[in-house]
Amino acid sequence: MSEREYIIPIGPQHPALKEPENFLFKVDGEIVVDVEPRIGYNHRGIEKAMESRTYIQNLYIVERVCGICSNAHQTAYTQCVEEVLGMEIPERSKYIRVFVQELERIHSHLLWLGVAAHEIGFDTLFYYIWRDREVVMDLLEMVSGNRCNYAMPTIGGVRRDISKENFPMYHKMLDTLHERTLYYLGVCASEKTILERAAGVGVTSKADAIRLSAAGPTARASGVESDIRKDSPYLIYDEIPFKMYTETGGDVLSNVLVRVNETMEAAKICKWVLDNIPDGPIKEKFSPMSRVPEGEAVSLVEAQRGELIHYLQSRGENKPYRYKIRAPTLGNILTVIEKLKGGYIADIPIVLAGIDPCFSCTDRMVFVDEGKDRMWDMNGDQLRRYGIRWYEK
Amino acid sequence: MSNLAVTAIEVLIFPGILFLTSYALYCNWINRKFAARLQNRIGPLHTGWNGILQPFADVIKLLANEDITPASANKTLFLLTPIIIFALPLAALFVIPIQSLSNLWSYAPVAAFEGDLIVVLFLLTIMILFIFLGGWSSASRFGAVGAERAALMMIAYEIPLGLVAISPAIMAGSMSLNKIVEWEVSSFANFLAAPSLPGILLGVTLLIGAGIYVICLLAELEMRPFDISEAETEIVHGWQVEYSGKKLALLHLGHEFKLVLAAALLTSLFLGGPAGPWPIPPIVWFVAKTTVCVFILSNLSVLFARFRIDQMLSWAWKYLVPLAVLQVMAVIVLSGVI
Amino acid sequence: MAMERELIKNALSKPCTLIYPFEKLPPPEGLRGRHTYDADKCIGCGLCARVCPSFAITLVGGLGPKCEGLNVDLGKCLFCQQCEEVCPTKALVMSTDYELAVLDKESAILIFERTPPPPKQPKKKDE
Repeated sequence: MSEREYIIPIGPQHPALKEPENFLFKVDGEIVVDVEPRIGYNHRGIEKAMESRTYIQNLYIVERVCGICSNAHQTAYTQCVEEVLGMEIPERSKYIRVFVQELERIHSHLLWLGVAAHEIGFDTLFYYIWRDREVVMDLLEMVSGNRCNYAMPTIGGVRRDISKENFPMYHKMLDTLHERTLYYLGVCASEKTILERAAGVGVTSKADAIRLSAAGPTARASGVESDIRKDSPYLIYDEIPFKMYTETGGDVLSNVLVRVNETMEAAKICKWVLDNIPDGPIKEKFSPMSRVPEGEAVSLVEAQRGELIHYLQSRGENKPYRYKIRAPTLGNILTVIEKLKGGYIADIPIVLAGIDPCFSCTDRMVFVDEGKDRMWDMNGDQLRRYGIRWYEK
Repeated sequence: MSNLAVTAIEVLIFPGILFLTSYALYCNWINRKFAARLQNRIGPLHTGWNGILQPFADVIKLLANEDITPASANKTLFLLTPIIIFALPLAALFVIPIQSLSNLWSYAPVAAFEGDLIVVLFLLTIMILFIFLGGWSSASRFGAVGAERAALMMIAYEIPLGLVAISPAIMAGSMSLNKIVEWEVSSFANFLAAPSLPGILLGVTLLIGAGIYVICLLAELEMRPFDISEAETEIVHGWQVEYSGKKLALLHLGHEFKLVLAAALLTSLFLGGPAGPWPIPPIVWFVAKTTVCVFILSNLSVLFARFRIDQMLSWAWKYLVPLAVLQVMAVIVLSGVI
Repeated sequence: MAMERELIKNALSKPCTLIYPFEKLPPPEGLRGRHTYDADKCIGCGLCARVCPSFAITLVGGLGPKCEGLNVDLGKCLFCQQCEEVCPTKALVMSTDYELAVLDKESAILIFERTPPPPKQPKKKDE
């Protein structure tokens, strides 16, 4: 490191980050020379906690991996368990699951848009967008009973039904959301100060996006056409007519455009679901203490931030033997390093916010040895041996 | 009453330190309420009538906080900077025409002399220097980045600020703010009596000058879109990051005095000062016109996102400086004609 | 300048802030709030305590007829409503009361009491 360079730590506590992560930026004046991320601050031991609770209790543990992608995690979990059980859920419950998932997508993207506006200093847009986000939170509160962490999917279906007499009000609220998001699309594409801060900033090429395993809207903003809802459809996504949006810029503005278009598309999907939902039962019987036969399952879900993978291994008891979660932000963090090298300090918050980071989903443990200057991961057996040796000392 | 007593009251109470302090808190309240209304919120509400005591409460609360000095900071500079940043705008406000105590209808300032416009511009520049010193002496990474950005911003906007401020002085033929205001009042009355083409052209040029001046004032006051040296989401609190307690209270008060100074300069140089068509004491005109100026500054502040420092520098030197030079040249030409 | 018209429109309309606690939004029905307990319906089966993900419900006294009530620790509760779903007699129901802030952790524990039914007398055989 030359004499002119010094290190600016962004995080673990910083106004630009909504969740704790550490990024060490080596800067020379205003220009960023190198980035070193250190993750793991939000590790809570969820995978271990799930091994000591029954399948019904785990519904609510897996929901709290992340506050804003909670429904995506629950959907993936219930799909894993239903695949191991060999259970087929009723049609009406599939429609309700899609309804809540798309509403959560609207919620998450509007939250992100407000936060991105705040990062570039545009507080007025931040306040307006979060005022309009209250509409979708009220809608979710009417449907599920809570403004975050909705807990709608359960093993065998959904827990609550949506009643037909509320449908006109839901339609009106979805129309309001669609109209306000269209206005914000116009603002983001034409307001000069936003374009100055967002266009051409933090560019990732298509080849880089594929190489660094970017996922979700971050990859779609670079031109990679990958969406789990189209590639390997789950629930009823193969029947719903919807469009996948990609852009070619790869910068923050493309991220904004992809996400805003996805929000409007999600509102249209919700209206389609309300018009086409069949009658019928909403859940199959699954007793809270019952056992699940031996087997393993993998389920893929398009969460708000990209491709979410859950893996379940069951050994015949009423508690899972091993559960593994891979969140999409893990891949997106690698693209941040490439985006920020050679950029300005002023671009750091908006580029970090541009990948829509959800560090709560991401954190698994990483070991750092300052003396030997090494970083490595441990798997389950190594971890057990390390713990035993530590206690024996 | 003897002259000395009148001057003492003018300096200390009205329109001196006490009046200016409460006026600064009032302007801060106007700024917050107006910005809140534009953003569909309410702003301060519960402290006093509609929250008017909120800026005062903020200062009291900061005075009660613990005052921490970083171990490796330069102690003299760290202590001196808030005091000077508090004192300089207050000193500059003594040459602005507000209201004179000895004569109800006159607005002669407390310390007027030929060339006080130069003193005001000089004090504005010195303030930036002390902002830089304050951030630099904090011995913190974020403070250093904020100080460096403040110095870069000064390079961008000081030249248009000075140039455009000179143009009414060229027309008035004097460098004293008092005489500039008198010229504006008389020439506007002459223009209304006998409108002429050079008069209209002069009005348009001065209006353009006012526009440039407003933009430079936004940069001087570190308000959006130019709050680069204080960017909250990037460098936590910029150059003020290590200040706390009484020093931060002085910094906040200094910031509020700068707002009053900016609004008062805008009215004195371009809007005709504390004078108007109807026979009302000048203090009423002063309050009304500076409130309108605070509205304009507040509206522009919530309308834009924040610029990046290199964008601001290139934009200022590509557009603002040539426009300011052209404006001054037009005023020089017109002053020969009129 | 793109948003100036929107700014003026918002300045002239009513602010969207609700001045809580003087103005409140009515909660929708189905909101998962504080628990309510009907002591007559409870049979002391203990399913609610077994199914709670954060182990917030404890049974006082014992199972079945010996049960003397429930303690629900709102500090641990996730408000997931699984206890209401699994209760066979709908004795534990969540209301829409959401103002649950307390100043110390002890007052967050809801104590529900139940008088256990008298033990049944065996029927005398008729001679």
